[in-house]
Amino acid sequence: MKFDAVSNTSMSDINVLEFSGEVGGYAGKLFADLGANVIHVELPGGDPDRYSRPFYSNVPNKEGSLRYLYLNTNKRGLVLDITTEKGREVLLRLIDNTDVLLEDFPPGYMDKLGVGYGRLSRINPKLVYTAITPFGKDGPYKDRLPSDMVCSAMGGFLYLAGIGDDKPSRAYGDQAYMMASQYAAMGSMIALYHAEETGEGQFVDVSIQACVTTALENAAQYYDLEKIIRRSSGGLEAGYGTYPCKDGYVYIMAAMGKNRYLWDPFVHWLIDEKVEGAELLLRDEWAEPAHRKKEESKEMFNKIFLPFALNRNKMYLYEESQRRKCCVFPVSNPKDIYENPQLQYRQFFKTLRHDSLNAEIHYPGAPYETEKLKWQLNRPAPAFGQDTIEILKELSYSAEEINSLLEGGVAIGKETA
Amino acid sequence: MAKKPLEGIRVTDFSWVGAGPITTRFLAEYGAEVIRIETKKRPEILRLAGPYKDGIPGTERSGYYSNRNPNKKSISLDMQNPRAREVVVRLIEKSDLVINNFRPGVMEKWKLGYEDVKKIKPDIIFVTMSMQGSTGPHSNYMGFGATLNALVGFNHLSGFPDKEPFGTGTNYTDHVAVPTHTAYAVVAALRHRRKTGEGMYIEMPQSEAAISVSPLAVMDYAVNGNIQTRMGNRHLDTAPHGVYKVKGERRWIAIAVFGDNEWKTLKDAMGSPSWAEDGKYATNENRLKNQDELDEKIEEWTAAQNGGDLTERLVNSGVRAGLLYDAKEVLEDRQLNARGNWVYLDHPEMGLSAYNNSPLVMSRTPAQLHSPAPLLGQHTEEVLKGLLQMSDDEFNSLKTEGILD
Repeated sequence: MKFDAVSNTSMSDINVLEFSGEVGGYAGKLFADLGANVIHVELPGGDPDRYSRPFYSNVPNKEGSLRYLYLNTNKRGLVLDITTEKGREVLLRLIDNTDVLLEDFPPGYMDKLGVGYGRLSRINPKLVYTAITPFGKDGPYKDRLPSDMVCSAMGGFLYLAGIGDDKPSRAYGDQAYMMASQYAAMGSMIALYHAEETGEGQFVDVSIQACVTTALENAAQYYDLEKIIRRSSGGLEAGYGTYPCKDGYVYIMAAMGKNRYLWDPFVHWLIDEKVEGAELLLRDEWAEPAHRKKEESKEMFNKIFLPFALNRNKMYLYEESQRRKCCVFPVSNPKDIYENPQLQYRQFFKTLRHDSLNAEIHYPGAPYETEKLKWQLNRPAPAFGQDTIEILKELSYSAEEINSLLEGGVAIGKETA
Repeated sequence: MAKKPLEGIRVTDFSWVGAGPITTRFLAEYGAEVIRIETKKRPEILRLAGPYKDGIPGTERSGYYSNRNPNKKSISLDMQNPRAREVVVRLIEKSDLVINNFRPGVMEKWKLGYEDVKKIKPDIIFVTMSMQGSTGPHSNYMGFGATLNALVGFNHLSGFPDKEPFGTGTNYTDHVAVPTHTAYAVVAALRHRRKTGEGMYIEMPQSEAAISVSPLAVMDYAVNGNIQTRMGNRHLDTAPHGVYKVKGERRWIAIAVFGDNEWKTLKDAMGSPSWAEDGKYATNENRLKNQDELDEKIEEWTAAQNGGDLTERLVNSGVRAGLLYDAKEVLEDRQLNARGNWVYLDHPEMGLSAYNNSPLVMSRTPAQLHSPAPLLGQHTEEVLKGLLQMSDDEFNSLKTEGILD
C-alpha cells in the first residue's frame, strides 16, 4: 500500500535522549525514523560504533563506519562529557524536555555520576528511563562485562545453532545486542504511552541475556515438558533444512510435524518432474517426524532430491516451488539480497548523501509501513559534534557559556557555516 | 496496582504460528485483551507441533503453542462459513486492533480487508504481517521464519566458512525482529489515535524487518561491493573471539577479547604460556591475522577444563566469557531466575509449565502473566454471550450450523 507524503508525524513531539554505545543505537533509530527528535549524546571518546567494521571504502574513518551510519540516521549528535560537573548541568537542562532516555552504560553508571533515574525522575516525573545492560540492573551477574556472543551463549540461543554434536556458530550481526535494542524500543514506547496518560514515568530495565531467552523457539518447553535438550530444528530430518543446488543452496521446508500440507505438493512436484523414486515419498510413514529423522530416510531423500536440485538454480527452485504451493527458499548472499526482485520492485533500499564522506550511502529502508506515521530518511548520521552548538543554544546557553564549555572540553562541537 | 499500560485495548487476533501470536502476547502482557480466532476444523499448526506435555501429542498439549499464547482468549469459529463473518463484525465493532499474518488476499476474501474493517470500526488499527509485503512479484509467496532467514541472508552469513550455510537453527526472525517491530508500531499507532482520533493501517513485511536488523552485509555490498560470508564465531574487529570446547559432551565456552589489555588479562588467566608471547599475537591486527592458530591454542587450553569452573575464573579476572547454556541451564540460571524470567502457569491439561516472562522489567507497570494458553474455543461462549451479548438462541443456532465448531 502506498501512502501520501506527510511532512511530520504525531511522533514529532517525542524527545529522546540516547546515550548508546554498542547496544542501544537501534532503539533510538526506531524512534528517529518515525519522526521523533532524537539526540544521540556521545562522550568525548566517541560512540564505539564509529570504530567498527565495515567502513565506507574499506578505510577506517570516524565518520565512515557503516554500522554507525545506519544506526544514527535522523538523529542529532551532541558530544558531552557527563563525567564533569558542567557536562551534567547540560544533561539536567535537557532532562526537562526529555520523554525517553535510552542508555546502555554498565549498571549503576549514571547513579555513580549522580544523574541516575532517581534524580532525573525527580526533575521530570514523566521520564521513561530505559537502561540496557548485559544481565539486568540487579542480580549476581550484573557487573559482568558485556559481549554480544557471551549474552547469546548465556541466553541459550547460541547452543541451538548447531546440529548434533557440531560446535555452534553465532548469528550474524550481533543479534543479542539487536534483540535488546528492539525490546528497549518496544518497552520505551509502551512506557511512554502509559506516562502520557497517567503522568507517571518509570524505569525500564532491559537485560540482553533475558531478551535472548525469547529467541529459543520451543527449546525451553522441550526441556520443561519432555526433558529433551534440542538444538537446531533444521537439518535433523528429511525435507527440512539446507540442500545444495546448481548455483548455491536452497532451504526447504516440506516437513512440519505431522502436517502434510507442505509435504504433499512438494512430492507431487518431484513426481511431475519425473524424478526417480519420488512416489516413495508419498507413503504414509513420511508424514511421521520419527521416520523422517532416520539416517536411511535422510539418505533416501537426498538420493531422490539432489539429482533434481543440482541441475537447477536457487531462484528457479524458489519461484517454481511457490507456483506449486510448496516452500523452497534461496539461501541468499548479500548480492542476492540487494538484487532480490521483490525488494527491488518495492524499492526497499534507499540512498542518502553524506557530506562528511562526500558519498551516497545505501540503506535498508523502512521495517514497516505505518500509514499515518511516515517513515523517513531525512538526515544522515551526525558527524562528530555536529549539532552540539545548536543544541546548547536551544538550551539557552549564551555564546560565552558555549565557548567556555567547548574550551573546557566539556562539549565538543563546530560552528556550522 | 497501577493501571496496566494497554488496559482497555481489545484485539481481534487472526494471527497464527509465530510472529503474529508473539506480537499479541506482548500486547497481552501489558494489559490488552487479546481474542484469538481459531477453528477446531483446522487447528493452528503449532497446536500440532511438539514439544507436548509428557511427550503425548494433543491439540491442548503443545508447549510450542502455549508459550506464545498466555493471557489470551480463544474462540473457535469456522471462517470458511459465510455466517462466521457476522460474528467477527460484531467483535471488530468492539475492538481497537485487528491483526493477521495471512498471505495478502485472505482477509479481503472474507471482506475483512482494511477498507472493509474501517467501515465497521472507523478508528481501527489494522495490522497485516505479510511475508514480503503486499506489492511486488513475490508478495503472495508463502514462507516461514526459517525459510525467510535463508532469504534475507542469515543462513549465508551465519555458520562456519568451511561448511554449508547454517543460520540460527531456529525460525529466528519470527521470535524477536518481527513481533517487537510490530508491537512497537502498534503502540505508536495507539498513541497516534489518542492524539488525533485516527486509526491506521500497518503492514509488516517480515523480510524487510529482518533485513533492518541485519543491515551491514548488504550495505557493505551496495556501498563497497564486498560479499561477506560466514565466519563462525569470529568478529570483524577483534580477536580472539570464539567458542571453545570444554570438558564433557556438547560443552563449550564463549570467550571474547577486546583490545590489548583484555588480551593480557586472558594470557594471565591462562598462566602466561610462552606461545602467547609470540609477536604474531602482540597486537589486535596480528591476532586477527593469525586467529586460526590462536583459536587452536586457546582450545587446547580450554578443552580439558570444567566449563563452570573455567568461566568463574575467567569472569573473576575480568575476561568476557560465558558458558553456552542449554535449555536446562537457561531454565535454572540464577541470574535469570533472580529477574523472574520464567513463570510457571497452571494449564488444565498441561499442568504447571514454563513460560517466558517479559525480558523487560518495568518499575511501575511490570508485565503480568495471569493465565496459561487458552484451550481451543475455551472462551467462545464467554465472548459471544458476554462481550457480544448474543442470546442463547442465537448462540445455539450458530453452534448447530457448525459455525462455532
